[in-house]
Amino acid sequence: MKPAGFSFHRPRTLNEALDLLAAHGDTAKLIAGGQSLVPVMNMRLAAPAELIDINDLPDLAEIRYQGEFVEVGALTRHHQLAESELVRSRCPLLAQAAATIGHYAIRQRGTIGGSLAHADPTAQLPLIAVTLSAEIDIASSRGRRTLSAADFFLSVMTTALEPDEIVVAIRFPVMVPGEGCAFRFFNRRLSDFAIVAVAATITVEKMRIAGLHLGIGGVAPVPLAYVDLCQRFIGQAADSGRVRELAQAVRDAVEPEDNPRISAEYRRELVQTLTERALTLALDEAKGNAA
Amino acid sequence: MNKVALSLRVNGESHDVVVEPRKLLSDALREDCRLTGTHVGCEHGVCGACTVLVDGRPVRSCLSFAVQAAGHEITTIEAVAQGGQLSALQQALHEEHGLQCGFCTPGIVMTFEAFLRENPDPSEAQIREALSGNLCRCTGYQNIVAAIKKAAAQMQGGGGYVTP
Amino acid sequence: MSHPEFLYIGKPGSRKEDYRFLTGHGRYLDDIEVPGALHACFVRSPHAHARIVSIDIDAAKTMPGVLTIVTGRELSEWTGKLRLAPPIDGLHPVEMTTLPVDRVRFQGDPVACIVATDRYLAEDAAEQVMVDYEMLEAVTDMWQALEPGAPKVDETLPSNLLSHQSYAHGDLTARKREAHRVIESTFSQHRQTHIPIETRGCIAIWDQGREHLSFHVGCQAPHPYRTQLAARLRLPETQVTVISPDVGGAFGQKITLYREELTVAALARHLKRPVRWREDRLENLTASAQAREDFCRTRAAVDADGRLLGLELEILEDFGAYCFYPGNYLARVVAMILTGPYKVQDYAFDVKVVLTNKVGNAPMRAPMSVTSWVMEGTMDAIARELGRDPVEIRRINMLSAADLPYTMATKEVLADITPRETLEAGLAAIDYAGFRARQTEARRTGRYLGLGICAVVESTTYGSAFYKAAGIPGSGHEAAWVRIEPTGVVNASVGLGPTGQGYETTMANAVAEGLGVSPQQIRIHLGNTDIAPYGMGSRGARGGTAGGGTLYLCALDARQKVIAIAAKMLGIPDPALLRLIDGRVERREGSEWTPTHVGLADIARTAYLDPTALPQGMSPGLEFHKTYDPPPMTYSNATHFCEVEVDTATGGIRLSRYLVAEDCGTLLSPTVVEGQQHGAIAMGLSGALFEHVQYDETGQNLSGSFADYLVATAHELPNFEILPMHTPNRLTPAGLKGMAEGGVMGAIGAVTNAVNDALAPFGVVVNRQPLTPMYLRDLLRGKIQEPVAK
Repeated sequence: MKPAGFSFHRPRTLNEALDLLAAHGDTAKLIAGGQSLVPVMNMRLAAPAELIDINDLPDLAEIRYQGEFVEVGALTRHHQLAESELVRSRCPLLAQAAATIGHYAIRQRGTIGGSLAHADPTAQLPLIAVTLSAEIDIASSRGRRTLSAADFFLSVMTTALEPDEIVVAIRFPVMVPGEGCAFRFFNRRLSDFAIVAVAATITVEKMRIAGLHLGIGGVAPVPLAYVDLCQRFIGQAADSGRVRELAQAVRDAVEPEDNPRISAEYRRELVQTLTERALTLALDEAKGNAA
Repeated sequence: MNKVALSLRVNGESHDVVVEPRKLLSDALREDCRLTGTHVGCEHGVCGACTVLVDGRPVRSCLSFAVQAAGHEITTIEAVAQGGQLSALQQALHEEHGLQCGFCTPGIVMTFEAFLRENPDPSEAQIREALSGNLCRCTGYQNIVAAIKKAAAQMQGGGGYVTP
Repeated sequence: MSHPEFLYIGKPGSRKEDYRFLTGHGRYLDDIEVPGALHACFVRSPHAHARIVSIDIDAAKTMPGVLTIVTGRELSEWTGKLRLAPPIDGLHPVEMTTLPVDRVRFQGDPVACIVATDRYLAEDAAEQVMVDYEMLEAVTDMWQALEPGAPKVDETLPSNLLSHQSYAHGDLTARKREAHRVIESTFSQHRQTHIPIETRGCIAIWDQGREHLSFHVGCQAPHPYRTQLAARLRLPETQVTVISPDVGGAFGQKITLYREELTVAALARHLKRPVRWREDRLENLTASAQAREDFCRTRAAVDADGRLLGLELEILEDFGAYCFYPGNYLARVVAMILTGPYKVQDYAFDVKVVLTNKVGNAPMRAPMSVTSWVMEGTMDAIARELGRDPVEIRRINMLSAADLPYTMATKEVLADITPRETLEAGLAAIDYAGFRARQTEARRTGRYLGLGICAVVESTTYGSAFYKAAGIPGSGHEAAWVRIEPTGVVNASVGLGPTGQGYETTMANAVAEGLGVSPQQIRIHLGNTDIAPYGMGSRGARGGTAGGGTLYLCALDARQKVIAIAAKMLGIPDPALLRLIDGRVERREGSEWTPTHVGLADIARTAYLDPTALPQGMSPGLEFHKTYDPPPMTYSNATHFCEVEVDTATGGIRLSRYLVAEDCGTLLSPTVVEGQQHGAIAMGLSGALFEHVQYDETGQNLSGSFADYLVATAHELPNFEILPMHTPNRLTPAGLKGMAEGGVMGAIGAVTNAVNDALAPFGVVVNRQPLTPMYLRDLLRGKIQEPVAK
């Protein structure tokens, strides 16, 4: 399976990359880790005429703490994210999820920018971005803009990125006192994409739910955060009964696709099971981190 | 056919090659550098047989283009044994019968030469997790895991290379 | 456990062939450099069933680097058809052209071959070949294939029913009438494929001066391959050499001469230039060879205690679209050995094999893989039905030492097997009573543990008498030569085809033992049809018994001559007073053996360079040749135990423990045997849990990459505990039995039975594979309280 031919570009600066994108637009593809793109090219399911290698771009692989946010450069590799002390302490959900991506070898190469741009419906990083309402900085030769994660993901493998745009950084809110988090997913084998994935954070104050974020991947074309549903539980008792109710409510709220290999019913069951398990863990952690 | 001239630095030596940008690193190493120890098993990044080190980190050479590798240090299986001496990992694989047909073996050696440097004392679970990126159809993995554990212990004790 | 009197056989030790593999200096097909070789690439049908209306190569021909493009028509001129017509009742003869000329029969069927200066350019050109197809209705389901009026896969056959055999022994009708119960069970095994990590490929080099083809191909049976290749190319066998290099796994996929390889050979001869081809993984997954898709039904007539009175078996197998092998073979073996370790004489089977519009089948490691699952699943069903312990049901029915030799209802004779011993030893090792206690306790907390047992009797080596009795043309013999060189080192060869099984080590042990020299002094040569003697190759698990056995016997011949020469050199009239140990001659003095000054090198020098000093009438040289035909059938046996935990909320299965008590006879190398057992069990578990070749109703293959065709990795598999309980076979050389496939049989049965044991409280039974979480949940839904979070 050999790929079709292309012209290769290796910009040294972000502006060079942006100019190339502006010039070639639709016929160009960016390559960072290549773990998702090259298999598709080898199978000739994608045949871009121009390939723009952005691995050399400086300053796009930094992780910075900025008060209320952890800002992650788009070229940060998954293993850096998983092992960063900063991310593990400030935004543990992100580190935990990154540590489960693929396996050791994939994590060396895959990047967060690539993962978000690829927009697989059950991938870890898009789910975390949506769950935590991350902000995504995007650059083009026309300027910069920021999108919320919810606005970034449009459909299966489809984002709001224009052909001449590139993700440069992603900002995640930091964990607050009294918060616990958990990431739970189910797949056939260790390194497979999840069938369903659940990301949850819960903040407890005086035995009551003071904050709640819940994101589900695998039940829709994009990962979804159940913001309104979570709102309903704010102020309620932070106990296992509430957790069970919440899991049931999420199960009822999701509308997964039905197909012969994996039924909608199966996905709903997984949602309920994984949500209950994730929230139970998160709740335990929150109680331990109580302010 | 827009071929480009590149210099690939492999195992400490420079190879001047002229290849199309689309030529996979795996093919360039095998054909243009004549280093056939790196094997091709799937060309979609799952089996791990093509794993080499780029700047010391494991990379699936079937998911990389030769043009991307210019300016980096590539290490392949041929460089692991030094002066006829097998590395601790190679020797352990031999002693523990961690290979049968041998086709997946170079990919495993390259992955774990890097892994063990960063994780000198891995648990069995950690080894199996890291090994999940390499498919083996012959061994059932058990002896490979035993070999990696043995090599880790050997390397911790200061032994990097053993005389065969 | 090694036989006490062996010096080399049965000793654990590292392999001789490892160095080159560890250091990246193995020489696999694709590593062989052939200057000026052209690259082939195939254009394949996107449709499962279609008539080829026209093939337009005009645009493709002009693409850069392209030398030629050929289709089925040209190849029909250059090569002969394959006709598969063994004289077997109920099996239809079939024919196959080198490439399809009129019709394609599966998605991926090759219709044209591009030859270009490199593979990248060849693939570019392949995209430009325009094939006009007239779509035909496809049949992709084996039941549908049997229906009258179903689309016909092979127009020369009256229907899609390729093969139908039945057999009956005893009076099953009476047994069913007398029975306390007749218990029916079904077993659906899914379609799988071999996926060796090294895909197929070949290099064809035609020497125009000598008019000789040198054909490099990874091959399990080089000589039969050579015979086939020569015949199809209409060349005498003297003008074809097949050379099998290092092979990255085969598992049955690299035995027969496929159409792509034949095309490449024909092209090299036509172009008078070397041509090479490497199958890519997409082709390997979708267009190579597949296996295992079958449906089995048993009806067991039992008395109130669960004793088997009679057993009935039906099999329906989906053979795909092309016959690379006789269609009756695989399913027939299952029916023949099904009753395995159990006593039952009233037995009947009915086996049907159909064609469908999918890739054709090839035997895949343990082609009879479904056998033990079916038999052991039936035993478990009997236990369930009668409310008895599954171990008790096995104990009541299983053969004991006193019952052997036992003639099965199918006339197969079982001897030198130890099923009961391995069952009991395994039960003790796995602490059966302890498990049941843990299982009960776990259920109280909403956790579901299960233990599956699977007894395996593995047919390893088929002798010529077996084939004759079954009406299958072919021989089970093997051939070997041993040559002691003038310097006393030993070259040896046998007709096997290595693909990772460690023959350079195990066969050296066989020669070492027969002759009396260290394996380090011996080199085994394999895979080149000009060098190796004509043998039947490596298939099933015959390597040990047929290959090792022949070499051992050949080496014994060599030893005899060597000792006779030594006797002359030492002036000792009675050769029984001499022995060869580690290449040194020792003489017996009373009850002691003392070394002499004579070594093998001295004897060899005499034999080659001073033949007049040899004993009277003895011919010069030390070169020996032998053929050996094993008994009609040789068996090894084992009992497998698998402990699982099922997460009833998700349907996920965790493999907690795996143990096998095995009797593989004499082991040429315990190290190699252990590795083979691990690999076989791993393949069985991977198949039962993850692997699945899937086609949609129109015949589109849905599993064309490793993202869809899932294989177990190191993370999904447990450690395998092996309890060795080896006893020798009394008929074979050195007591060899062979092994390597039983692990697949045992694993498939053990894991499925374990899941059923875990789910017993819910009254559900899994009867098909793969055991996906979704399938388990489908069974449990409605049978269980809403899942409890753990």
